[in-house]
This record gives sequence, structure tokens and C-alpha cells, in this order.
Amino acid sequence: MTWVARMLAGPGLWAVLFCAVYGLHGLGCAWDWPARQTPLGPLHPLGMIALWLAGLAVHGALIVLNGPGGEGTQAGLIRAGNWIGAVASAVTLFPVIAASTCG
Amino acid sequence: MTDTRPAIAPNPPQRAIRLHRELDRVWTDLPGWRGFLTSVNHGTLGLRFMATAIVFFGIGGVLAMLIRAQLATRDGAFLDTALYNQIFTMHGSIMMFLFAIPMLEGLGLWLLPKILGARDMAFPRLSALGYWCYLFGGIIILLSLLAGVAPDGGWFMYVPLSGKTHTPGISADVWLLGVTFVEISAIAAAVEITVSILRCRAAGMRLAAMPLMGWYMLGTAAMMLVGFPPLILGSILLELERAAGWPFFDILRGGDPLLWQHLFWLFGHPEVYIIFLPAAGVLSTIIPVFARVPILGYGAIVAAILGLVFLSFGLWVHHMFTVGIPHMALAFFSAASALVAVPTAVQIFAWIGTMWAGRVTMRLPMLHVAGFFLTFVMGGLTGVMLAMVPFNWQAHDTAFVTAHLHYVLVGGFVFPMLAAITYWMPMICGRFRVRALGEAAFLLILVGFHGTFFLMHLTGLLGMPRRIDVYPDNPEWEWLNLISSIGGMVMSAGFALFALDIAMQWLFGRRSRRNPWRAPTLDWAMALPAPSYNVASLPGPGRDTADALLPLARGEGLLPGAPRGRRETLVVDPGSGRPDHVAVLPGNTALPIVTAATIGSLVLLMLAGLYPLAPLAILAILWAAWRWGRIMGTADEAAPIPVAPGLSLPEHYQCRNTLAFSGAVALLVADGTLYASLLFGVAFLTVIAPNWPAPDSGLSMLDLWLAGGALLAMAGGSLAARLAESRRTRPLGGQAALAGILAAILGLALLAGLALQLDDPTRHARNALRGVLLGHAAVHGVIALMMGLRSLADIRAGRVSRTRRGAAPVWRLFGDFWLATSAVSVAVVVLQEVLA
Amino acid sequence: MLAGCDGAFSTLTPAGPAASGIALLWWVMLGGAGLITILVLSLAWIALRSGPRATVERPWTIWGGLAFPLAVLAMLVGFALWIGERMIARDDGAFAVQAEAYQWGWSFVQPGPDGPVRTEGVLYVPARQPFDIVLTSRDVIHSFWVPQLGGKMDAIPGRRNVHRLQADAPGRYEGLCAEFCGLGHAAMRFEVVVYDPSGPLPDLAPLPQGSASAGGTAP
Repeated sequence: MTWVARMLAGPGLWAVLFCAVYGLHGLGCAWDWPARQTPLGPLHPLGMIALWLAGLAVHGALIVLNGPGGEGTQAGLIRAGNWIGAVASAVTLFPVIAASTCG
Repeated sequence: MTDTRPAIAPNPPQRAIRLHRELDRVWTDLPGWRGFLTSVNHGTLGLRFMATAIVFFGIGGVLAMLIRAQLATRDGAFLDTALYNQIFTMHGSIMMFLFAIPMLEGLGLWLLPKILGARDMAFPRLSALGYWCYLFGGIIILLSLLAGVAPDGGWFMYVPLSGKTHTPGISADVWLLGVTFVEISAIAAAVEITVSILRCRAAGMRLAAMPLMGWYMLGTAAMMLVGFPPLILGSILLELERAAGWPFFDILRGGDPLLWQHLFWLFGHPEVYIIFLPAAGVLSTIIPVFARVPILGYGAIVAAILGLVFLSFGLWVHHMFTVGIPHMALAFFSAASALVAVPTAVQIFAWIGTMWAGRVTMRLPMLHVAGFFLTFVMGGLTGVMLAMVPFNWQAHDTAFVTAHLHYVLVGGFVFPMLAAITYWMPMICGRFRVRALGEAAFLLILVGFHGTFFLMHLTGLLGMPRRIDVYPDNPEWEWLNLISSIGGMVMSAGFALFALDIAMQWLFGRRSRRNPWRAPTLDWAMALPAPSYNVASLPGPGRDTADALLPLARGEGLLPGAPRGRRETLVVDPGSGRPDHVAVLPGNTALPIVTAATIGSLVLLMLAGLYPLAPLAILAILWAAWRWGRIMGTADEAAPIPVAPGLSLPEHYQCRNTLAFSGAVALLVADGTLYASLLFGVAFLTVIAPNWPAPDSGLSMLDLWLAGGALLAMAGGSLAARLAESRRTRPLGGQAALAGILAAILGLALLAGLALQLDDPTRHARNALRGVLLGHAAVHGVIALMMGLRSLADIRAGRVSRTRRGAAPVWRLFGDFWLATSAVSVAVVVLQEVLA
Repeated sequence: MLAGCDGAFSTLTPAGPAASGIALLWWVMLGGAGLITILVLSLAWIALRSGPRATVERPWTIWGGLAFPLAVLAMLVGFALWIGERMIARDDGAFAVQAEAYQWGWSFVQPGPDGPVRTEGVLYVPARQPFDIVLTSRDVIHSFWVPQLGGKMDAIPGRRNVHRLQADAPGRYEGLCAEFCGLGHAAMRFEVVVYDPSGPLPDLAPLPQGSASAGGTAP
């Protein structure tokens, strides 16, 4: 049954990352973070981008470390789970670099 | 491919008719009306679920026709506005909660043990409890329509419109209490479908090789465990606001109407996929049969299910694109809503590829599959359109959305269900259908459906909003509506003809031969109509397709017959399907209907506003729950049960990892989601809602001491439950159980002390939320207390032993859950106080 | 055919940049969706009608199911995000009016010759310049929608939602409440009078009841 847990790791990470970025977005807009500046730019989008990139890095690590070799349905499903999570995180959270933060 | 699974030797063949009589005597329902009240058999209950759901579909359909009659002309004077509002609210609510969900539950209950090679679901009494809760709740909702006090706030019951100020009567309470009552059946079905798929499969059937229907229903059940709790929580909160004035959604007192929308759609969007997945499972089962080839891309389809299960929880805000959420947040959900089309596309192309690889015979079920393609593809594409934020701003709340959702739900659920009914009818009634009627019904439904809804997209683009009853100044919408109304009547005629066809088949069809479609799956490895016990002996390696029909009937499979006169089925390891133990399932009993009646009495008392009498109903529920737990211990020390030559397995009483334990874990997943939704509510209101920070709470160090003491008592209870399990027998086990009970009582008493300290919950949402956190802890304290009492009673009565653990493992689970959630609640309140 | 798309509430006869952008998005999506429907249904038809044919999984699930929709959706989401970004209200000091929804009507406050003027059921805004409607509600949730000008925005008690629109030319535009709000929902209409900002301000007296729904399409 460990293969089921390994299959769920990628999508599970997406779920956590999606909640974290969405939560950070809500907190930031409520607490007026876009007005706060850091040397690299406004704090709010930077925080979300950093979180997103960190999450994508973990997805990358999952693909490398959690990807079994070999054929068979179970190995294929673990690989599929890794990629589903990574693509979902990349696609659903790309607006952190493309959309107006709190407008 | 060579079969690498360990072989299980066949049992010696017996006379099939003798096995049949022996099994049927044990598994069949009681005769007559007693059978109606006491059946726990999955076959009976699955069919009953589906038949009841179809009746509600008919009622919802009649309501739809009333809507179409009203809208056929712009000055429709057929219904007055108040009644019209009740009717469209009831149409949506009935179709969602009383048709679609129970229909798929019924299909799962009826089909899964057959297709996975078991004799029943994991929790037969739970199937029955779910059915009675569904029936009673549905009847309450229907009666409100007859009494003219039906819910009228739209099926999604937005606050403040559904709040006490704007909906003063009991109509909204009917919805909140009635639907929550019905949702008990959804949670029950989700728990037992999850456990049954993971643990009640044929010996040696690996998870990664089970029929796709198993994967689809596993995904559905997992989604239900996580998807329904937000709705249940939302309903509880809104009912508390309406009945007791606790302000969760009242903006002036720190609530926020958007919290309701979040909780509702956190359920509401996954709900669409909860409905779609079983239907897709039907398609993945039926298409290969009629194409006469194996499904193309088994692994890709499982991966698609995995993607859908997760992604569908990231879409809910696309129902809220116009509430004023910032564009970036909308874009997250827009992208997720578009992405969810990908796993759907994977399945559609896998199905087309399967038909491509095979040679399709166009029997009636395949016609309905064609109806699915003709309808669902367009519904999916308009769904992608609606996922685009700017377009959604225009199309939201217009007839375009009405058209879209009917394309998705009729295409993605009703057509596959029609296919399923026509496909499995021979197994249900043992007869083959009468020719020609079914084809005519299909054509009428298809033409009527597109006649109703195709042009409705345009009606929406021309600006017609949803939920209006007249449009005197808009002649440009009239011809479109008239066409839709005519189409609706045609579609209704089609459904009536379909029902007639099914009735004709039941009454006059010729006897069907076994496995009439020559399907490969195990569900057809039985006599027609399906017997009460499904198979005389259970399938195993080498005997796990429909071809094993005769050997299984002769008892060559596992666990043949019912020599011990009990209902027995095999429990396997979730991943490998290795046989683990034999579960002894309960027989016919009235306990489920009695329990549902006690819950129903609570619902009715609350509807009537007789709150002082509610504790009586709660006591009745606790009494029923106590009776329910009697099954957890036994005084009988059984020898291992011979399953096959050289393979004997223990009874479930002698195992720790039983079905009940798995079920408790699944239930706690739902329970944990409910609690997580509550935490989301706390965070949402604290951060987002206007009119915060709240006035000073008046909490003092005394409260912290009380809370700390309660947590210590809970920890002591958890420890005692561990000891009670590890010591088990008298006197040490009994002393530990007694200590656990006392700890639970102490914990509850300290919680009561905290409740007395709590600031007035009607004053501000913060206080109301704390009241709910306390209530959550108290409910779980009572559960832990009941389990402790059950353990003590079983230990005293000798119903546990060195080898039999009784209720203690489940007690531990709930005790730990009580402790963990209460600790988090304390931390949350402390954090709120520090931040304020 | 195009006559069928007319009407005072038609999203397909846009009269402002937001509605035009969305109408463009709609026609693009309609074209794409039509092509995809024909493609998928043709494949299904061919698959149903004859066979068996030798085939392997990859072209179906990987190319058809995964790559094709991912490519199409990536372009579509990007395009829609770009259109949406151009529509949202910004903090740039645009002409602002207030709208308060109630069961069942609309109360507007807009700049007049002698300071703010409150009107019932009619909103006055200048043509050819963006304006922000600050939306709130007195009781339940309503939704402000002028289909020919652009998308809708909810009016929620206790919240201030800002909605940006712009009209290309002077005229009268019809609006309605799009969110179900109880017994009077169907009749909760209003009118937007767009005046020429270079000319004199119109008389801001509220129009008599009933005329708000009598207008035709924009001139």
C-alpha cells in the first residue's frame, strides 16, 4: 500500500501549496501587504512567488526521488501522480506572476 | 501475462442447488413487510436506493415541467412568484440531493460487491441506516412542498436571503435540517464504499488491477468524505444562526455572507465530480463490453481519476467570480477550472480509442453512451468557457449557466445512468427487454434534451437571468423559451416512455440467459436475477472473471456456502488482495430504521421549534448508538475458518485491523474535514470579515486552567483506552476502562465549565465560533465516553479476551481525535486572544 | 441571424470596451469549441461505425487527452487573463458613482451640477470615459449587471465592491439584478443614461416609475 501513498504525494503537495498560496493571498490583501516594500519589490507578490517556486522545487524533487523505474501499473501511477501534482501547481498558481494582486 | 499471484487451491465441487438453498436461507430478507423494514442486504438496499431516487427524479422532473410551463410565455400567469421560487428551489435540491447522490450511492451499494467479488458491503446495517435517513429526510422535504412551506431561496440558499430576517418561516430550516438528515446517508455510503473497495475484494485482486468501476467509486467515496463535511458544517452554522441567533453570516456582528458561499461551494463543486465519476465508471465498464476489447489505457484512466479527485477541490471559487474577489485569486481558480478539463479529456479519448480498437455493437446501452458523447462534450466545453473569468462575469447567473449545467449533468450523469439501467436490468430482474420501446425513448430524450437546452445558451447570452418567473418587457426571449418548453415536454415524454420500457421488461420480458452481454467482469459470474448472497463461493486467483460462473456456483471458490449459518465474507489486504480474515456480517435487523427514526424525531422537534424536547431525542439516539455497538464483541471463541484447502483464516473478532476499524478511520477523515472546515471558518471570519476585531472577550487565566485541565483529562482518557486494549481482560482491563470513563466525564465537566465562562455567543461571531468549537469537543467527548462504556461492558461480560479486542481500538481512535482537535481549538483561541 | 442577437440585454451587441472584449472572447471560444466538438464527435462516430482497427494507447490518451487540451487551454487561460486584467477597476481616480441595492430596487448617487445627487432606478454616467460603480446592499445579495456595457458584480451587505465600466457612446442602457434576491427579483431593473461629457449635464431628476424598463436598445 505504500505505492498508494507515493502516488498521492504529488497531488497532495499541490493541494497544500494551493491552499498556502491562496491563504497567503487572502492574508496579504486583508492586512494591506501590497503597500509594504522590500528591496526586491512589494512584499506580497514576492512572498507568493517565493512560496510557489519553493513548492515547484519540491515537486521537482518528488519527480526525481519518488519516481520508480520500471514498468507496471503501480510504477506508472506513481510517476503520473508526481506529474499531475507538478503540472497542477505550475498551471493553477502561475497567476502569481501574471495577475493584479488585490485589485 | 503470467499470473504471479499465489494460487489458492479449489474447494471440492458440490451440488450448486444445495449451496444455493443453504446460502439463500442465511442471506435473504425476511418475508413480507418485515423484510422491508429489516433488510440489510446490499442488493435489496441498492435497488431500493435507486428506485427511490428514480421516483424523486420523476418528482423533480414534474417540477421542471412546471417551470417550463411558467416560462413558455413572457407573462406566464401559471404560477405566482412565491410558488415559482419554491418550485425552482425544490427542483434543484431534489435533483442534486434526492436523485443524483442517492442514485450513485444505490448503484455503488448494489454493484460493488458483485463486481469486486464479495457477498455484501462492509457495513450492511449502515447501508440500511443510510437508506432510512435518505427516505425520511426526503419525505420531510417533499411534505414541505405539499404544505406550501418549501424552501424558496434557491438550491444554494445564499445568506442573508435565507437568514431569519428575510426568510422568517420554517422553509429554510426544512432545507438545512432535511438536507443534512439526507447527507447522513451520503457519509454512510462514502465510509462503506471506501472500506468495501479497499478490503472486500476477491482474493488476490490487486488494487492496481481491480475493475475500473472500483477506482471510480473509490475516488467518488473519497471525495464524498472530504466534500460533504463543508456543507454539513455550513448547514449547522446557518441553522444555529437561524435558531439561536449565533451570528456566523450576519455582517453587523462579525459574520460574513461569503463564508456561506465558500462552505457551500467547497462542497458544491466537488459534488459535480462526485456525480460524474460513477457515471464515467459506468462508461468505462460498458464501452469495452460492447466494443469487445479491453479498455484502452487502464493506467491513464486511473491517473485521470486521481487528477479529478484532487483538482475538483480547487475550483469552488469559480461559482463566486462576481462577489468581488481580487483578480489574482480568481485567476488561480480559473486556471484550475480549465486544467480539470484535461483528465476529463483523457477519459473521453480513452473511450473513443477503445471503440476505435474494437467493433461496437449498437445495443440499447450503447445508444445512451452515444447520447453521453453528443451531450457531455458540449457541456464540458461550455464549462471551460465559464471558467474564463471575463466571460463568466457576463454569463454568470444567466440561462447560459442553466444550459451548461444541464448539459453536464444530463450528459455526464443521466445518460450514463440510463445506459447503466438498461445494461444491468437483466441482472436485476432476470429478464430481457421488449424491443423498440427503449430506442424510441432514447430518441425522444435526446431530441427533447437538446431542444430544451441548446438554444438556452443563446437565451442566456441575450441576457435572461436565472430564477425569474416573468419577463414582460423582453419579447426577444420569448421564442427561445417557448422552444425550450416544447423541448422539455418532449424530453418528459421520453423519460415516461423509458420508465414504461423498464416496467415492460420487468413484467413481460423473456428470461435472460446468464451473462447476456458476454461481459468479462465478475458481476456477471452469477445466476440471473442476482441471488441474495451473490456467489456461492468467492472468487480468487484464476477464478476472477465472468467465466468462473460455474465453478463458483459449485462452491470451488473460497468460503463456499454458509455452513455456520452466518453471513460471512472475505476481508483482504487493501493493496495486494491477500486474504486476511473472515468478516461475520450482521443479519436482518430493525435497528437501522429505529436509529433513523430517532434521528428523524430530533429533526422534527427542531423543525417544530420544540427545543426543550430535543434532549429526549438525543437520548434516544444515544440509546440506539449503544445498541449499535453490541456487535463489537462476542463471547464465542471460534476456531480458524476453513476458506480453501490449506487456507484457514480467523474471524474478524480476533483481528485488530477489522472492517470496523477501517470504517472508523474513514469516518474520522470526514470528521477531520468537518473540523478543518470549521477552522477555515474561524480563520476566514477573523481575517476577512468586516466588524472585527471583536469586543473584549473577558477570558481570563481561569479559562486557560480549565482548558488545560480538560486536555489533561482527555490525554488520560487516551492513555486509559490504550491500557484497556493492551490489558483487555478482567480485572486490569476493566480498571483501565473505568479510568478512561472517569477521565472522559472529567473532561466533559471541564468543558461545561468553559461553556459557562464563554462570552454571549449571540454578541459576536468570535464567541459563536468558540461556542461551536466547544460543542465539537463536547460531542466527541460523549462519543469517547460511550466507547469507554462499551469497552467496560464488554470486558465485564467476557465479550473480549486475549484474542478478542472488542471496541477498544476504535475507542482509542476517537479518544485521540478528541484530544487532538481540542488541543488545536485551545491553540486557536489562544492565538486569537494574543493577536487581538 | 444577427437580428436574433439583438435586445436591450444582449451581451452580443456590446456598447463598451469591457463588453466588447468579452464578446470577442465569446466568439473566439465559440469557434474553438465548435471545431473541437466536430472533431471529437467525428472521431466517436467513426469509432462507432466500423472497426476493429489496430491502435495503441499513446495517441489517444497522451496526445489527444493530455497534450492537445493542455496546449489549447494554456492559450485560452492566458488570453482570458489578459482581457480580464484590462477590465478591473484600478485606483486611478476614475469617475465614481455609488449604487445601493435593496429589495427591490436600486438607489444611485452620482455627481451632479451642485454636488452628489441621489436617484432611484436610473444611473447617469458620462460617455467615453471609465467609471467606477461602488456597490453595496441594504439587505440581501444583489448583482449589478448592464449586459451591453460589461460583466456583473455583486452588491453585498457590509461590503464595498468596485466595478469598472465604460460606454462608447451616449444613450440609454438597460440593467438588471442578476442574483436571486426574493419575490421582486424579476422586476429589479434599472437604467443607465450615458450622456455626452462635452455637452451640458442632463437633468438628474429620477425618471417616473415604469419608464426604466420601456427603453429599447442603445441608439
